[in-house]
Amino acid sequence: MTALSITATLRATSRAWRRMGAIALACALLFAAGTAMPALAQDAGDEDPLEDINRAVYEFNRVLDGLLLKPAAMIYRGLLPEEVRDGVRNVLDNLQAPVIAANDLMQGETRRAQVTLERFAINTTVGGLGIFDVAKQHGRYKHAEDFGQTLAVWGVGGGPYLYLPVLGPSNPRDLAGLVVDSFVIDPWTHIARANDADWFTYTRFGLNILDTRARTIEMLDDIERNQIDPYSFIRTTSRQRRDNEILNGRPAAAGR
Amino acid sequence: MRPRAISRVLLILATVLMLPMMQPATAQTPKALVETLGDKAIRQLTGNVARPEREARFRSLLNDGFDVHAIGRFTLGRYWHQANPTQQAEYLKLFEKFIVQAYAARFAEYSGEQFRVVGERADGNVVVVQSEVFKPGNPPAKVDWRVQGHKIVDVIVEGISMAITQRSEFAAVIQRGGGNIDALLTALRQKTGGA
Repeated sequence: MTALSITATLRATSRAWRRMGAIALACALLFAAGTAMPALAQDAGDEDPLEDINRAVYEFNRVLDGLLLKPAAMIYRGLLPEEVRDGVRNVLDNLQAPVIAANDLMQGETRRAQVTLERFAINTTVGGLGIFDVAKQHGRYKHAEDFGQTLAVWGVGGGPYLYLPVLGPSNPRDLAGLVVDSFVIDPWTHIARANDADWFTYTRFGLNILDTRARTIEMLDDIERNQIDPYSFIRTTSRQRRDNEILNGRPAAAGR
Repeated sequence: MRPRAISRVLLILATVLMLPMMQPATAQTPKALVETLGDKAIRQLTGNVARPEREARFRSLLNDGFDVHAIGRFTLGRYWHQANPTQQAEYLKLFEKFIVQAYAARFAEYSGEQFRVVGERADGNVVVVQSEVFKPGNPPAKVDWRVQGHKIVDVIVEGISMAITQRSEFAAVIQRGGGNIDALLTALRQKTGGA
């Protein structure tokens, strides 16, 4: 099972590599245009040339969230005990391992790639198809990695801030990264498609959103309650968090 | 010989007793400052404390450990110089109130996390005290404390600076209010329930 999955991962990765050149070039062109936008009278890191559209999407998401996503997340949390939801989260995280490992490698982070692959091997087998995070008990903690971060490490700028329907804070680079991760690198999507089982991909996507929302109920309520402009609060914190993820938590070279 | 021995004992005793007095509170190392503050915060702010009491305790810890004035100035950014002295004074008052209200409540949700200082490094004229907040068996969250002149001027949680975040939010409110500082003062007044 594991060997098969790793082979699939490697195959997907090498396939991904071939397409990568063209995509990276397209992205680079797109962001060169993005960064050429006129500088606005804002502090560094607060640029938001599409603010009007972004705020409209933000309001749209708030309505959608209030009507659908948050109630669904609360029902999900109310119906399933924490242990079961943790199992769901662990399975979803485990399925993400091939994408994380591929991006670890593309960033030259061999140590972290090894941790990801060891986690995948341990949790898929001993952890019962990823339900239990056994690897954590052996000091192999999970970390996130995606193709948006890989592009950033390769020197591609983010471009203008984007607030996406349902998905929230992003930018053209990270959105392109998400597309590459989901449709090029991820082996399960290909396997599901080859077996006429696209329901698997949709279920996984839906569960990911539902579980993430269920885990952020208190945090988002807190932001809505305590901040004076939640939109800009989310904009700056998601940007800072992203910068920190790209650096893998290492301090930036220069002070601020 | 005996009187001499006694006087030596007295001298040592006097020195030991004097030591704490000779070390004024401000001479605390940045590390000790953060350690003490973290311990006090967990002891005094978590658990079953009524909201007004929690906020009072938080306010006292905030002013003991943080340079609230400097942080307030930083978070107003370039608008500080555009504000007149009355606006500056009201802003600083509202800023403190806003911080107390927003952050004190977050200690109510504390659920047994532990806190430890793991190191420090220099960054220009600032000492960055590095700490970790963690639950046993889980990866720690990195929290950096920027200390300048015996006071904390910023807290950075997993790469997210509280001061930069607040500055960014305040700037957005002012810009959307047409560049007028009163827009921020009004919003802060509303959020904190009146000046």
